[in-house]
Amino acid sequence: MKTSDLGTALGYEPVQQDYTDREISSGYTSDLLSDVMANAAENCVLVTIQAHKNTIAVSSMAGISAIVICNSRPLPEDMIQAAAGEQIALFLTEKNQFTVSGEIYNRLKTE
Amino acid sequence: MPWFRADLHLHSCLSPCGDLECSPSAIAATAKERGIALAALTDHNSALNCPAFAEACRRNRVAALFGMEVTSREEVHLLCLFETVAQALEMGQVLYAALANIPNRPETFGDQVYVDIDEVILGTVDKHLTAAVSYSADEINDLVLARGGLFIPAHIDRAVTSMQSQLGFLPEGNYHAVEVLRSPCSLDTGGYTQICDSDAHFLDDIASRWFEFEADVPDFSGLKEALARGAIRLSIDW
Ligand SMILES: [Zn+2]
Ligand SMILES: [Zn+2]
Repeated sequence: MKTSDLGTALGYEPVQQDYTDREISSGYTSDLLSDVMANAAENCVLVTIQAHKNTIAVSSMAGISAIVICNSRPLPEDMIQAAAGEQIALFLTEKNQFTVSGEIYNRLKTE
Repeated sequence: MPWFRADLHLHSCLSPCGDLECSPSAIAATAKERGIALAALTDHNSALNCPAFAEACRRNRVAALFGMEVTSREEVHLLCLFETVAQALEMGQVLYAALANIPNRPETFGDQVYVDIDEVILGTVDKHLTAAVSYSADEINDLVLARGGLFIPAHIDRAVTSMQSQLGFLPEGNYHAVEVLRSPCSLDTGGYTQICDSDAHFLDDIASRWFEFEADVPDFSGLKEALARGAIRLSIDW
Protein backbone atom coordinates (compact mmCIF):
# COMPACT_ATOMS: atom_id res chain seq x y z
CA MET A 1 0.00 0.00 0.00
CA LYS A 2 1.26 3.46 -0.89
CA THR A 3 0.78 6.42 1.46
CA SER A 4 -1.54 8.03 -1.10
CA ASP A 5 -3.82 4.94 -1.00
CA LEU A 6 -5.03 6.13 2.40
CA GLY A 7 -6.83 8.86 0.47
CA THR A 8 -7.58 7.28 -2.91
CA ALA A 9 -8.42 3.73 -1.78
CA LEU A 10 -9.62 4.13 1.80
CA GLY A 11 -11.24 7.54 1.43
CA TYR A 12 -9.62 9.48 4.26
CA GLU A 13 -9.47 13.21 3.64
CA PRO A 14 -5.95 14.32 2.67
CA VAL A 15 -5.04 17.40 4.73
CA GLN A 16 -1.32 17.69 4.10
CA GLN A 17 -0.01 16.31 0.82
CA ASP A 18 3.57 17.53 0.82
CA TYR A 19 5.24 14.10 1.22
CA THR A 20 7.12 11.36 -0.61
CA ASP A 21 4.65 8.63 -1.60
CA ARG A 22 6.39 5.76 0.18
CA GLU A 23 5.37 2.13 0.60
CA ILE A 24 3.59 1.54 3.93
CA SER A 25 4.01 -1.92 5.38
CA SER A 26 2.42 -1.63 8.82
CA GLY A 27 0.29 0.48 11.09
CA TYR A 28 0.21 1.50 14.75
CA THR A 29 -2.79 2.69 16.74
CA SER A 30 -2.27 4.64 19.95
CA ASP A 31 -3.19 7.87 21.69
CA LEU A 32 -0.15 7.89 23.95
CA LEU A 33 2.74 9.48 22.11
CA SER A 34 5.32 8.03 24.51
CA ASP A 35 3.99 4.60 23.52
CA VAL A 36 4.11 5.52 19.83
CA MET A 37 7.72 6.58 20.19
CA ALA A 38 8.64 3.32 21.92
CA ASN A 39 6.72 0.86 19.72
CA ALA A 40 5.74 2.20 16.29
CA ALA A 41 7.68 0.71 13.37
CA GLU A 42 9.44 2.87 10.80
CA ASN A 43 7.46 3.82 7.67
CA CYS A 44 4.19 2.89 9.32
CA VAL A 45 0.88 4.75 9.39
CA LEU A 46 -0.18 6.09 12.80
CA VAL A 47 -3.88 5.97 13.71
CA THR A 48 -4.70 8.38 16.53
CA ILE A 49 -6.89 11.18 17.87
CA GLN A 50 -3.92 13.22 19.15
CA ALA A 51 -4.39 16.26 16.93
CA HIS A 52 -1.61 18.70 17.88
CA LYS A 53 1.85 19.52 16.64
CA ASN A 54 3.69 17.33 19.18
CA THR A 55 2.25 14.33 17.32
CA ILE A 56 4.30 15.47 14.32
CA ALA A 57 7.46 15.82 16.43
CA VAL A 58 7.07 12.29 17.77
CA SER A 59 6.18 10.86 14.33
CA SER A 60 9.23 12.47 12.83
CA MET A 61 11.48 10.94 15.50
CA ALA A 62 9.85 7.52 15.04
CA GLY A 63 10.11 7.66 11.21
CA ILE A 64 6.34 7.46 10.70
CA SER A 65 5.20 8.13 7.09
CA ALA A 66 1.56 9.04 7.57
CA ILE A 67 -0.95 9.94 10.27
CA VAL A 68 -4.71 9.35 10.18
CA ILE A 69 -6.57 11.55 12.69
CA CYS A 70 -9.88 9.96 13.70
CA ASN A 71 -13.27 11.20 14.97
CA SER A 72 -13.01 14.39 12.87
CA ARG A 73 -10.81 15.98 15.53
CA PRO A 74 -10.05 19.57 14.50
CA LEU A 75 -6.50 19.95 13.19
CA PRO A 76 -4.66 23.06 14.39
CA GLU A 77 -2.85 25.05 11.70
CA ASP A 78 0.55 24.68 13.44
CA MET A 79 0.14 20.90 13.27
CA ILE A 80 -0.53 20.95 9.51
CA GLN A 81 2.47 23.23 8.98
CA ALA A 82 4.71 21.03 11.10
CA ALA A 83 3.61 17.98 9.07
CA ALA A 84 4.48 19.78 5.83
CA GLY A 85 7.87 20.71 7.27
CA GLU A 86 8.54 17.08 8.19
CA GLN A 87 7.08 15.67 4.93
CA ILE A 88 4.58 13.56 6.87
CA ALA A 89 1.23 12.84 5.19
CA LEU A 90 -1.79 13.84 7.23
CA PHE A 91 -5.32 12.47 6.77
CA LEU A 92 -8.58 13.14 8.58
CA THR A 93 -11.64 10.91 8.93
CA GLU A 94 -14.89 10.86 10.90
CA LYS A 95 -14.37 7.14 11.62
CA ASN A 96 -12.93 5.99 14.94
CA GLN A 97 -9.56 4.33 15.59
CA PHE A 98 -11.04 0.82 15.71
CA THR A 99 -12.68 1.10 12.29
CA VAL A 100 -9.70 2.81 10.64
CA SER A 101 -7.28 0.22 12.07
CA GLY A 102 -9.49 -2.57 10.69
CA GLU A 103 -9.66 -0.99 7.24
CA ILE A 104 -5.90 -0.47 7.03
CA TYR A 105 -5.21 -3.95 8.42
CA ASN A 106 -7.43 -5.59 5.81
CA ARG A 107 -5.88 -3.58 3.03
CA LEU A 108 -2.34 -4.54 4.11
CA LYS A 109 -3.32 -8.20 4.51
CA THR A 110 -4.61 -8.55 0.92
CA GLU A 111 -1.29 -7.35 -0.53
CA MET B 1 18.18 37.20 51.38
CA PRO B 2 15.88 34.82 53.27
CA TRP B 3 14.56 31.52 51.92
CA PHE B 4 10.84 30.74 51.92
CA ARG B 5 9.11 27.39 51.74
CA ALA B 6 6.44 26.90 49.06
CA ASP B 7 3.90 24.25 48.05
CA LEU B 8 2.29 25.38 44.80
CA HIS B 9 0.23 22.33 43.86
CA LEU B 10 -2.74 21.75 46.17
CA HIS B 11 -6.21 20.35 45.47
CA SER B 12 -9.38 21.18 47.40
CA CYS B 13 -12.84 19.63 47.64
CA LEU B 14 -13.54 21.17 44.22
CA SER B 15 -11.36 18.53 42.56
CA PRO B 16 -13.41 15.34 42.16
CA CYS B 17 -10.40 13.34 43.40
CA GLY B 18 -9.86 15.75 46.31
CA ASP B 19 -11.02 14.87 49.82
CA LEU B 20 -14.17 16.70 50.98
CA GLU B 21 -12.25 17.70 54.12
CA CYS B 22 -9.93 19.76 51.92
CA SER B 23 -11.76 23.05 52.33
CA PRO B 24 -9.79 26.20 51.52
CA SER B 25 -9.75 27.09 55.25
CA ALA B 26 -8.42 23.69 56.29
CA ILE B 27 -5.76 23.78 53.55
CA ALA B 28 -4.53 27.23 54.59
CA ALA B 29 -4.40 26.26 58.28
CA THR B 30 -2.52 23.02 57.52
CA ALA B 31 -0.06 24.79 55.22
CA LYS B 32 0.65 27.35 57.97
CA GLU B 33 1.14 24.58 60.54
CA ARG B 34 3.67 22.88 58.27
CA GLY B 35 5.81 25.95 57.69
CA ILE B 36 4.63 26.85 54.18
CA ALA B 37 5.17 30.57 53.48
CA LEU B 38 3.68 30.57 49.97
CA ALA B 39 0.85 28.25 48.92
CA ALA B 40 -1.12 27.93 45.67
CA LEU B 41 -4.53 26.38 45.16
CA THR B 42 -4.58 24.43 41.89
CA ASP B 43 -7.77 22.48 41.37
CA HIS B 44 -8.33 20.72 38.06
CA ASN B 45 -9.34 23.28 35.41
CA SER B 46 -11.10 25.57 37.92
CA ALA B 47 -10.35 28.41 40.33
CA LEU B 48 -13.75 28.57 42.01
CA ASN B 49 -12.35 27.85 45.48
CA CYS B 50 -9.73 30.59 45.19
CA PRO B 51 -11.83 33.42 46.73
CA ALA B 52 -12.22 31.43 49.96
CA PHE B 53 -8.58 30.33 49.76
CA ALA B 54 -7.44 33.96 49.52
CA GLU B 55 -9.36 34.90 52.65
CA ALA B 56 -8.22 31.78 54.53
CA CYS B 57 -4.57 32.46 53.67
CA ARG B 58 -4.92 36.08 54.80
CA ARG B 59 -6.28 34.92 58.17
CA ASN B 60 -3.50 32.34 58.54
CA ARG B 61 -0.78 34.73 57.33
CA VAL B 62 0.27 32.49 54.47
CA ALA B 63 1.11 34.20 51.18
CA ALA B 64 -1.04 32.80 48.36
CA LEU B 65 -1.11 32.32 44.61
CA PHE B 66 -4.23 31.40 42.66
CA GLY B 67 -4.71 29.19 39.69
CA MET B 68 -5.45 25.74 38.44
CA GLU B 69 -3.97 22.53 37.07
CA VAL B 70 -5.11 22.45 33.46
CA THR B 71 -5.55 19.23 31.47
CA SER B 72 -4.46 20.09 27.92
CA ARG B 73 -5.77 18.40 24.76
CA GLU B 74 -2.66 16.18 24.95
CA GLU B 75 -3.95 15.22 28.44
CA VAL B 76 -0.85 16.74 30.01
CA HIS B 77 -1.27 18.47 33.40
CA LEU B 78 -0.05 22.07 33.55
CA LEU B 79 0.12 24.43 36.55
CA CYS B 80 -1.11 27.97 35.81
CA LEU B 81 -0.52 30.44 38.66
CA PHE B 82 -1.69 34.02 39.05
CA GLU B 83 -1.09 36.87 41.46
CA THR B 84 -4.76 37.74 41.96
CA VAL B 85 -8.00 35.83 42.44
CA ALA B 86 -9.62 37.86 39.64
CA GLN B 87 -7.00 36.73 37.10
CA ALA B 88 -7.47 33.10 38.13
CA LEU B 89 -11.26 33.30 37.95
CA GLU B 90 -11.15 34.87 34.48
CA MET B 91 -8.75 32.18 33.24
CA GLY B 92 -11.08 29.61 34.82
CA GLN B 93 -13.99 30.91 32.72
CA VAL B 94 -11.94 30.63 29.52
CA LEU B 95 -11.01 27.05 30.45
CA TYR B 96 -14.53 26.00 31.45
CA ALA B 97 -15.85 27.08 28.05
CA ALA B 98 -13.18 24.90 26.41
CA LEU B 99 -13.65 21.93 28.74
CA ALA B 100 -15.09 18.73 27.25
CA ASN B 101 -18.80 18.51 28.06
CA ILE B 102 -18.76 15.38 30.22
CA PRO B 103 -21.21 15.64 33.14
CA ASN B 104 -19.61 14.78 36.49
CA ARG B 105 -20.96 11.66 38.19
CA PRO B 106 -20.24 12.28 41.89
CA GLU B 107 -20.84 8.61 42.80
CA THR B 108 -18.10 7.56 40.35
CA PHE B 109 -15.66 10.46 40.28
CA GLY B 110 -16.35 12.31 43.55
CA ASP B 111 -17.94 15.65 44.39
CA GLN B 112 -16.99 18.99 42.84
CA VAL B 113 -18.09 21.61 45.34
CA TYR B 114 -16.92 25.14 45.96
CA VAL B 115 -17.32 26.67 49.37
CA ASP B 116 -16.88 29.86 51.37
CA ILE B 117 -14.45 30.57 54.19
CA ASP B 118 -16.80 28.84 56.68
CA GLU B 119 -17.06 25.68 54.55
CA VAL B 120 -20.63 26.46 53.49
CA ILE B 121 -21.24 24.97 50.04
CA LEU B 122 -21.82 27.72 47.48
CA GLY B 123 -22.35 25.46 44.49
CA THR B 124 -21.36 22.39 42.52
CA VAL B 125 -19.72 22.24 39.09
CA ASP B 126 -21.56 20.27 36.38
CA LYS B 127 -18.85 19.32 33.88
CA HIS B 128 -16.33 16.71 35.01
CA LEU B 129 -13.31 18.84 35.89
CA THR B 130 -10.45 16.43 35.23
CA ALA B 131 -11.42 16.08 31.55
CA ALA B 132 -9.31 17.81 28.89
CA VAL B 133 -9.83 21.30 27.51
CA SER B 134 -9.59 21.82 23.74
CA TYR B 135 -6.41 23.93 23.98
CA SER B 136 -2.98 22.42 23.41
CA ALA B 137 -0.21 22.86 25.99
CA ASP B 138 1.30 25.55 23.75
CA GLU B 139 -1.96 27.47 23.57
CA ILE B 140 -2.43 27.30 27.34
CA ASN B 141 1.13 28.56 27.75
CA ASP B 142 0.21 31.59 25.60
CA LEU B 143 -3.06 32.21 27.49
CA VAL B 144 -1.17 32.27 30.81
CA LEU B 145 1.61 34.55 29.53
CA ALA B 146 -0.97 36.96 28.07
CA ARG B 147 -2.47 37.22 31.57
CA GLY B 148 0.85 37.72 33.32
CA GLY B 149 0.78 34.36 35.08
CA LEU B 150 3.33 31.63 35.74
CA PHE B 151 3.26 28.51 33.57
CA ILE B 152 4.76 25.30 34.99
CA PRO B 153 4.25 21.83 33.44
CA ALA B 154 3.15 19.61 36.38
CA HIS B 155 4.87 16.41 37.58
CA ILE B 156 6.63 16.03 34.23
CA ASP B 157 8.08 12.63 35.23
CA ARG B 158 4.81 11.04 36.42
CA ALA B 159 3.59 7.76 34.87
CA VAL B 160 0.28 9.33 33.77
CA THR B 161 -0.95 12.73 32.53
CA SER B 162 2.58 14.13 32.25
CA MET B 163 4.90 15.35 29.50
CA GLN B 164 6.76 12.07 29.96
CA SER B 165 3.70 9.79 29.70
CA GLN B 166 1.80 11.68 26.98
CA LEU B 167 4.61 12.94 24.76
CA GLY B 168 7.73 11.09 25.86
CA PHE B 169 9.75 14.30 25.94
CA LEU B 170 9.61 17.87 27.21
CA PRO B 171 8.91 20.19 24.27
CA GLU B 172 10.40 23.69 24.37
CA GLY B 173 8.10 26.32 25.85
CA ASN B 174 7.95 29.55 27.79
CA TYR B 175 8.05 27.73 31.13
CA HIS B 176 8.82 29.58 34.35
CA ALA B 177 9.79 26.19 35.80
CA VAL B 178 8.97 22.49 35.53
CA GLU B 179 7.59 20.47 38.44
CA VAL B 180 9.30 17.13 39.10
CA LEU B 181 8.48 14.20 41.37
CA ARG B 182 11.99 12.80 41.65
CA SER B 183 15.47 14.20 41.64
CA PRO B 184 17.37 13.70 39.44
CA CYS B 185 14.42 13.77 37.03
CA SER B 186 14.19 10.80 34.63
CA LEU B 187 13.09 13.13 31.82
CA ASP B 188 15.49 15.62 30.22
CA THR B 189 14.42 18.90 31.86
CA GLY B 190 15.99 21.01 29.13
CA GLY B 191 17.67 23.38 31.57
CA TYR B 192 14.40 24.75 33.00
CA THR B 193 14.33 25.54 36.72
CA GLN B 194 12.87 22.62 38.69
CA ILE B 195 10.41 22.79 41.57
CA CYS B 196 8.59 20.07 43.50
CA ASP B 197 5.24 20.21 45.29
CA SER B 198 3.00 17.87 47.25
CA ASP B 199 0.08 17.65 44.74
CA ALA B 200 -1.94 17.00 47.90
CA HIS B 201 -5.50 15.70 47.52
CA PHE B 202 -5.75 15.07 51.31
CA LEU B 203 -4.88 17.40 54.20
CA ASP B 204 -2.32 14.89 55.44
CA ASP B 205 -0.29 15.18 52.24
CA ILE B 206 0.13 18.95 52.27
CA ALA B 207 3.84 19.86 52.28
CA SER B 208 4.86 16.20 51.86
CA ARG B 209 7.04 17.70 49.09
CA TRP B 210 8.00 21.40 48.94
CA PHE B 211 10.70 23.69 47.64
CA GLU B 212 12.37 26.80 48.98
CA PHE B 213 13.08 29.99 47.06
CA GLU B 214 15.30 32.93 47.88
CA ALA B 215 13.55 36.32 47.89
CA ASP B 216 13.00 39.50 49.87
CA VAL B 217 9.29 38.79 50.19
CA PRO B 218 7.44 35.47 49.62
CA ASP B 219 5.09 36.85 46.97
CA PHE B 220 4.42 36.46 43.23
CA SER B 221 7.28 38.74 42.12
CA GLY B 222 9.72 37.28 44.63
CA LEU B 223 8.93 33.79 43.40
CA LYS B 224 9.08 34.78 39.73
CA GLU B 225 12.54 36.30 40.17
CA ALA B 226 13.82 33.34 42.18
CA LEU B 227 12.58 30.93 39.48
CA ALA B 228 14.33 33.00 36.79
CA ARG B 229 17.58 33.01 38.83
CA GLY B 230 17.25 29.35 39.75
CA ALA B 231 17.47 30.27 43.44
CA ILE B 232 15.53 27.15 44.38
CA ARG B 233 16.17 24.12 46.59
CA LEU B 234 13.99 21.01 46.60
CA SER B 235 12.80 18.93 49.57
CA ILE B 236 13.48 15.79 47.55
CA ASP B 237 17.17 16.73 47.33
CA TRP B 238 17.58 17.04 51.13
ZN1 LIG C 1 -1.75 16.26 37.94
ZN1 LIG D 1 -2.61 17.77 40.84
